[in-house]
Amino acid sequence: MPSSTETQETAPDPEPAPGPEPAAKPARGIRTRVAFALSVFGELLITGGIVLGLFVAYSLWWTNVVANQEASRASDAVRDHWDTEDAGPEDPVTYDPSDGIGFLHVPAMTNDEILVKEGIDLGTLNGGVAGYYDEPIESAMPWDDEGNFTLAAHRDGHGAKFHNIHKLTDGDAIVFETRDTWYIYRVYAVLPETSKYNTAVLEPIPTESGATEAGQYITLTTCTPVFTSRHRYIVWGELERTEPVDDQRTPPAELTTA
Amino acid sequence: MYGWIWRHLPGNTLVRALISLVLVLGVVYLLFSYVFPWAEPLLPFNDVTVDDQQGQGAAG
Repeated sequence: MPSSTETQETAPDPEPAPGPEPAAKPARGIRTRVAFALSVFGELLITGGIVLGLFVAYSLWWTNVVANQEASRASDAVRDHWDTEDAGPEDPVTYDPSDGIGFLHVPAMTNDEILVKEGIDLGTLNGGVAGYYDEPIESAMPWDDEGNFTLAAHRDGHGAKFHNIHKLTDGDAIVFETRDTWYIYRVYAVLPETSKYNTAVLEPIPTESGATEAGQYITLTTCTPVFTSRHRYIVWGELERTEPVDDQRTPPAELTTA
Repeated sequence: MYGWIWRHLPGNTLVRALISLVLVLGVVYLLFSYVFPWAEPLLPFNDVTVDDQQGQGAAG
């Protein structure tokens, strides 16, 4: 990069300089100044272009590096916590929402496990995790008898956890793992594009998906089209069954065959 | 601008090139650590949530 800016620089600069400056001062002075101003202007344009290019690299690459590091540290912390915690059977799901409540596995979308934390503010989502909605409509938890477990994550940058959300189709498995239970959901509806103000998708009974009665739903939201935030992409699933987690944390069939 | 900086750097060409490299890396570091993280939430590229509060950019 230094070489490119400098070669750009040396090219326009020598032109005003070779003129015999002391000989014809007034006319040459103005031309020199104009040439100088033009060269500074050109350099600013080049600099602006480079900065924009760097911003693209930052958005699409560097934020992923940072977020994935942060997410893997946080995930390790949650797993360590699960291992050391006394796993009494009467003890329901104990968790600290700020640490993360569990992991999302969506084999049709990504091979990574996605840590799920409370909240949808940028500070949370930029950590390379999915967040469950605490507002405008509060998410239900998977272990609630009924409701809608609503999640958001980045499509690009900051881990890009929902980047491949468009690969999800009806019948695909969405598996949520807590300390004690696998929750296996099936995708039953997709809304490829909706307004970003369409909070109805988060309702306990998401009627837009075709649901008519109370159930245990899951909703994934992210932005679309990729690289923009113009619209929102929504995927709905409904709980199919749950499986208790065994000693080896053997994953359910949906995750092993994928 | 860059020519002015180049002419005011001390040392021979090699030393100047090294100093330039350090300066460029420093600028990139400042951009990645402070400027871009500040600018990113202000730009409409990364809002992923649905939200009923219009114009509230924080939720994304």
